[in-house]
Amino acid sequence: MYKYDPLGLTLGMILLRVWLALRAILTGVEKYAASSVNSSEIIIDGTVNAYGLSESTYIKSYSLDNYNGVPSSLYDKFLNEPLIPNSLLYLFNTILGPSFIILGIALLIGFATRSTLFLMGILYASLTFGLILIKQDSGVAWLGIHILLIVAALTLVNYNRFEVLKKW
Amino acid sequence: MMPNLSSLSRRDFIAKSAIGTGLAIGVPSILRAEDLPKTKDLIRVGFIGCGKQHEVLFNAMVNIPGIQYVAACDIMKERLGRTYGSIYKRFDTKIKRYYEVADMLEKESLDAVFISTPDFWHSPHTIMALEAGCHVYCEKMMSNTLEGARAMVTAMDRTGKLCQIGHQRRSNPRYQYVLNELLNHHKVCGQIINVNGQWNRALSSSQDIVSKPSILPRAEILKRYGFNSGAENKLNEEQLRHRFLNWRFYTSLSGGPISDLGAHQIDIFNWYLGARPTSVMASGGRSFFKDREHFDNVMCVFDYDTPQGNARAFYQVLTTTSAGGGYYESFMGTDGTIEISEREAYTNIYKESGADSSKWDDLVNRGYLNKEANSVTRTSSDVVASYESAPPDKYTLPGGFNKPPHQPHVENFLESIRGNTKLTCDARHALQSEAPIYWVNAAAESKETIRFTDEHLHT
Repeated sequence: MYKYDPLGLTLGMILLRVWLALRAILTGVEKYAASSVNSSEIIIDGTVNAYGLSESTYIKSYSLDNYNGVPSSLYDKFLNEPLIPNSLLYLFNTILGPSFIILGIALLIGFATRSTLFLMGILYASLTFGLILIKQDSGVAWLGIHILLIVAALTLVNYNRFEVLKKW
Repeated sequence: MMPNLSSLSRRDFIAKSAIGTGLAIGVPSILRAEDLPKTKDLIRVGFIGCGKQHEVLFNAMVNIPGIQYVAACDIMKERLGRTYGSIYKRFDTKIKRYYEVADMLEKESLDAVFISTPDFWHSPHTIMALEAGCHVYCEKMMSNTLEGARAMVTAMDRTGKLCQIGHQRRSNPRYQYVLNELLNHHKVCGQIINVNGQWNRALSSSQDIVSKPSILPRAEILKRYGFNSGAENKLNEEQLRHRFLNWRFYTSLSGGPISDLGAHQIDIFNWYLGARPTSVMASGGRSFFKDREHFDNVMCVFDYDTPQGNARAFYQVLTTTSAGGGYYESFMGTDGTIEISEREAYTNIYKESGADSSKWDDLVNRGYLNKEANSVTRTSSDVVASYESAPPDKYTLPGGFNKPPHQPHVENFLESIRGNTKLTCDARHALQSEAPIYWVNAAAESKETIRFTDEHLHT
C-alpha cells in the first residue's frame, strides 16, 4: 500500500497556498492598476517636428480611482448576455477585485483555509460561467486549471500548517 | 428617429433634399474654414446614434477640452442610458435624452452633432442636422448609396456648415508625416508602382451580434426606422432585431465588408496617390457565411494614372481569417516600400537594395527615419540565388502619437468649427475617395471590369 509522506504533503500544501494566494492577491491588485504615458517630442532636422510625433514611455501606477473589476471589453459583452442580469453584473464588477485580495490574504495567512479555498473556487466558477456564455473557451480551460489546484489544496487540507484560524 | 416617417420615407427624404440642393451652388467647405467666424471656445455637442461606434468616438473625445455635452439620441433606451451614464460619470453633466433626431435638433441649441447611426441613416441624419444649423461629424461610409452620399455634399454646400467624414486616418499625424515628408518631399519610395492593402478579420470577430431581447426596440419601431428596407417578405420581430443589430450584413442597409473595412484603406490609396482610380475589377463570394447577403470576402484591383505614372492597387477584405498581418496599406515603389497601418506595430518601411543608401542614411541622421535592422542575406539551401532580389533593409518611423486613433480627427473638426484650421476630410473630399468603393460590389457581381467615367465618380 502506498505510504504518504506527511512532510512532503505539508510542503505541497504550503506551495499550493502560496501560489493560489499570490495569484488571487495580485489579480485583485492589478484591477487598481493603470498606465500613464510620458511623451517626448521627436526632433527632426534639429527642430521639434510639426506633426506632433512623439516617443512614449509607459508608467504603471496603482490607485483606488483606477479600479476596474471586469475588463471593459468583457463587461460590454456580458451586458448583452440574457442570462446575466445587469444589476448582478454591476455588483460582481464592484466586488471582484476586493474579493480576490481578501480571499488571497486569508489563504496566505491560513484564515479558515477550507472555507477560503471553497469561496475562491466559487469565485473562479462564477468567472467560468461568464466566459462560457461569451465563448472564451481558452479562458474557461485556464480557469479550470485554477479549480483543479483548489481541489488539490482541499484534498491536502489535513496537512495544512501555519494557520491563523484552523477552524472552518 | 425622424418625425412623420409614415408620410416621408427615407428614399423620399433623400430625393427631396437632393432636388432642393441641386438648385444651390455651394463653396467647398475645405475652402471655407478661414471664413468662418471665430466661435466662443465651448462647443455644444449632441450625439445621434449611441452604439459601438459612438463609444469609440466618445472615448476619443473625453480628453479634448472645450466640449459641452448637451444631448444624445438613439431609438434604444438602454444605449441612451449608457451614454447618459458615461457623460455624467466623467463630466458630472446631465445630458438630455431623445428618441427622435428631429426633436433633439429642434429643442436643443447645438453647435455640432456626431452621427454614428447605421450607414443607411447617415445621409438623412446629416442633411437634417446641417439644415438645422449644426456642423456635422459623420462616420464613414457616408451612405449606403452613392446618391445618399452626393446629397450630403450638396447639403453641406447649401447650408455652409462643416461636414467632416470619419476617415480618421486623414488627421493621423503618422499618416500625414508619411505622405508629406517621406512620400512627397523626400520621395523615399521612388515611383510607386503597386499598392497593396488588406483587412483580415477572424471568424470569431465576424459572428452575428446578439443582445438581450428585453432591451431591444420593438418591431413597429424598427419598421418605422426602415430596418425592413429591402426585405422581400414580411419580417417578424426576431428578424427585424437581427437586422437592427447586424445591419452590416444586409445589402439594403450597408455596403458590406468592402465599405465597412475597406473604405478607410481605399481612401488612403487615393489620398496618397493623389489620384482617383480609372477602373476596378473585383471578385467576391459568400464562401463561408452562405446565408448573408453581402460577400464575406472580396478582392479588388484598381488602376490609377498618377502624376508619377501608371499604378495598380490591390485590396482584400476577409471576414474568415485573421492571419497575414492584420490591416495595413503598403505603398511599393522602385526605391522602397512603406507599409503603414493605424496600428503602429504593423507599420514598416523597407529600402530596396538598389536604392541610394547615402540618401537613406542622411534621412536617418537627420531624424526622419529610424533604422531597425540591416538586411540579412539568406543562405539556406532552398534559396535559388539567381532568382532572388537582395533582401531590403528595414526602417521605422521616428515616433508615434499617444492618443486614441480618432482623437486627432475630432480635434480637427472642433478646431475647424472655431475657425482655427481646415477640415482634413470634408464630405466632398471624402466622396471623391469613397465613390470608387461603391462600384466594387457591382464589379464583383458582374465579373466585369468597370472603367470609371465622371458619371461613376462625380461628387
